[in-house]
Amino acid sequence: MTLIINGRQSDVDVDPSTPLLWVLRDHLDLVGTKFGCGGGFCGACTVHLDGVAARSCQVAVGTVGGRRVTTIEGLPDGPLQRAWLAVDVPQCGYCQAGQIMSAAALLARTPNPTDDHIAAAMRGNLCRCGTYLRIRAAVRMAAGGGQ
Amino acid sequence: MKSRRDVLHDKKAGDDLAVDSASSSRREFLTVGLAVTGGLLVAMRTAGAQRGAAAGAASGFPTAYVQIDPDGRVRLWSAQPEMGEGTKTSLQMIVAEELDADWTRVVVDDAGLDPERYGGQGVGGSDAIRSDWDKLRRIGAIARALLVQAAADTWGVEAAGCTTAPHTVRHPASGRDAAYGALAARAATLRAPETPVPLKDPAAFRIVGTRVPGVDNAKIARGERLFGLDVRRPGLRYAAIAKSPVFGQAPVKVDAAAARAVPGVRAVIEVPGDSNPTYLQPGVAVVADSTWAAFKGREALRVEWAAGAFATESDATLRAKFEQLLAAPPFTLHDSGRVEEALAGAAHVVDNTYTFPFVSHATLEPHNCTADVGDGRCDIVGPLQMPASARAVVARVLGIPPATVQVTSTRIGGGFGRRLMSDSAAEAAVVSRAAGGPVMVVDSREGDLQHDYYRPAAMQRIRAGLDAAGRLVAWDHAIASASRGAYRREDRPPYSTETYGAYIGVVRTTDHVALDLVPTRIPHARLRYGAPETGVPTGAWRAPSHVVNAFAVETTIDELAAAARVDPVGIRRALLGDPADHPPQPNEPTPYDPARMRRVIDLVVERSRFGGRVPEGRARGFAAHHTFGSYCAHVVELSVDAGGGGRRRVIVHRVWSVADVGQPVNLSMLEAQMQGGVIDGLGSAFYGEVPIAEGRATSRNFGDYRLIRHDEAPRAMDVHFVDSRVRPTGFGEPPLPPIAPAVANAIAAATGVRLRRMPFNGAGFVLG
Repeated sequence: MTLIINGRQSDVDVDPSTPLLWVLRDHLDLVGTKFGCGGGFCGACTVHLDGVAARSCQVAVGTVGGRRVTTIEGLPDGPLQRAWLAVDVPQCGYCQAGQIMSAAALLARTPNPTDDHIAAAMRGNLCRCGTYLRIRAAVRMAAGGGQ
Repeated sequence: MKSRRDVLHDKKAGDDLAVDSASSSRREFLTVGLAVTGGLLVAMRTAGAQRGAAAGAASGFPTAYVQIDPDGRVRLWSAQPEMGEGTKTSLQMIVAEELDADWTRVVVDDAGLDPERYGGQGVGGSDAIRSDWDKLRRIGAIARALLVQAAADTWGVEAAGCTTAPHTVRHPASGRDAAYGALAARAATLRAPETPVPLKDPAAFRIVGTRVPGVDNAKIARGERLFGLDVRRPGLRYAAIAKSPVFGQAPVKVDAAAARAVPGVRAVIEVPGDSNPTYLQPGVAVVADSTWAAFKGREALRVEWAAGAFATESDATLRAKFEQLLAAPPFTLHDSGRVEEALAGAAHVVDNTYTFPFVSHATLEPHNCTADVGDGRCDIVGPLQMPASARAVVARVLGIPPATVQVTSTRIGGGFGRRLMSDSAAEAAVVSRAAGGPVMVVDSREGDLQHDYYRPAAMQRIRAGLDAAGRLVAWDHAIASASRGAYRREDRPPYSTETYGAYIGVVRTTDHVALDLVPTRIPHARLRYGAPETGVPTGAWRAPSHVVNAFAVETTIDELAAAARVDPVGIRRALLGDPADHPPQPNEPTPYDPARMRRVIDLVVERSRFGGRVPEGRARGFAAHHTFGSYCAHVVELSVDAGGGGRRRVIVHRVWSVADVGQPVNLSMLEAQMQGGVIDGLGSAFYGEVPIAEGRATSRNFGDYRLIRHDEAPRAMDVHFVDSRVRPTGFGEPPLPPIAPAVANAIAAATGVRLRRMPFNGAGFVLG
């Protein structure tokens, strides 16, 4: 089947029930999208489907169709990543790609989020190291609100 | 092209200098030589048990190096795996400081990801700053001294007349200066200095003590390949290992037909366990072309497992054993005065029983490791905190010499103690050898939660008595817990791993260095211990034993203060004792100092105005603890609302946190550890529990094994570190032990409910 990933067409030969996560990681070597739980609980595997945040471990690749898939590797560099570096968010770093993808989807539809918006949009992304306070600060900074 | 590894090992251009390490029996060797780039390379290697420069030089692991290229770029590397505490950044800050480098021109090498160039990492440990402080300062200072000598030789002046400014050697008398890069090649021809080089006055530090962001942040934000699960090799296959639901049991009968029929499955391989279950657990591996196929193949396996001696074990059977042990603990670790008499004569007595569940590490990067074994080759790559242990364990399970095992640590997607174990490396090695090619062993979240080495479950009982004047006169503490020392078949008594860190006023009184919890200022005190036999695997979990022991002690002291109507901070200050109560002990580089604990307590009280007015509807709690050489205290302000379904919602509005970690190295990393430690401590106290039934863990995934989420974190934190010149101590663990008791004490102030069982959501308290 043919997927549109980060603006490019990719042909893959896999069982259509395979989760998109594993097609990205094991078949297309796009390892930035992380495996955390396989059950949609942790958000480490967050990608965008037509700009909307989705848990790629819960999306069978056969259902993606012509939707545009964006992974962390294809997310345009911008104020969000700059804020992430300025605030020094990562600890172990494993969840951060998923956090950034969720935050990017939030800012795309809510450019000036309140703390409640941030909490609601980010509660599906677990960080085992507990970087939540800095994530909040970085999203605020990227939105232009400063810290 | 000549590799850096060759340069490290044949070092024709330089010479060796043996340095006796102050903190260990290992010897360190410095090599000065010419880097492949034409610059200066100063490498430090550590020899193991072998003595003598020649033997050490031949066999030593590289542990750190400094390379200065002719273009002025400084490359630094040290052999400490990074798993989130910022060691990869902070350790290089120490080297760069003594080198007097310009931090913007420093590159931290990913040497560990390139074993062909650099050789394997040789050391690991949970307290990198504490163990590496001296040697990293020294290697930086030696590199600086070589650059100064090169400049002095070039100019025909005395080295003593030269100084450095960032990245530059200066000779003030003649007004000359030279960039480090321009001096590097000449410096590479010099001999290593034979006398100790002077170190910087800490007052002159420019890098150490500042906020420096993580050196890998940009790569992380771009999703670059950094972690164990990101490792790829030509021909790599993926393996999922089925393990007995009842812990540690071997397969009796395997029907692999359905598994082999799953598309992409290549092989089914039995994995024999090691006699030490922390090295390798038995199982059946399904090897496939993709992770998904390996998981599907594992689901299709039909395995009959041995029953084992603990097939009926459950939380209830463990509780019965704990209660029996608390009634008559077999080990008495301390007994001063006449505890029973003192309790009988006390004006007020509390008698508290505490219960703690098994807790999983739940690292967000699941259990995994990659191995390529065959043709005299044994390469191990993965999220391994202890590469040297991994090498020994792999050599043992494969029956090959350790020297033939090459181990490389990747960045680690969360450790919390789990990656101290090298079982993933042993699994990958065994499966790779049988499969005949490179294999990544990877587990699902369910497998990761059900086959962890858990934080030991425990019950504790503290009976404590106050006299009529409100003084603490009697203290009887009994601990019953699964012993991780016993689980890993140690010769030491079972309490050795479970009894440290209980008191804020501590002395080390026993034969065992880990035991540091006898209260100094209580006239009649007793500490007893017992461990049940259990089949549940246990291991170190962030601030091991400190977390549960501090919870019992710090909440009991708070309750005593309330009963006596005395200040909960004042009662602790009275227990701290004087320096004379805590004489330094042998092999203890950072002895407990009550004055430092007192300062931390005073500062957190001052910053939070603890004891003053609290906003309407809110309450506060306090706790403090000393963990592995660092001191930490928290004040928590929270409110408790009625939630739905009889639940009570705890909103943590603010946490004031103060710590003394000695000389702060990287204030951004330290602040991050404080925030993260508080959040981890809150999450595990409210939700962390792996239930045991029918000899197995019943946790499934993050739906039932809850972790703290974004909207449950404290709304604000005030973090402060004591400005100190004392030799630095680690901070990955010390924020945790005092946070759960501070919260429980605040909940008691808000509601009158004294929480004595973790997790708190068992009593209906959830975070909001």
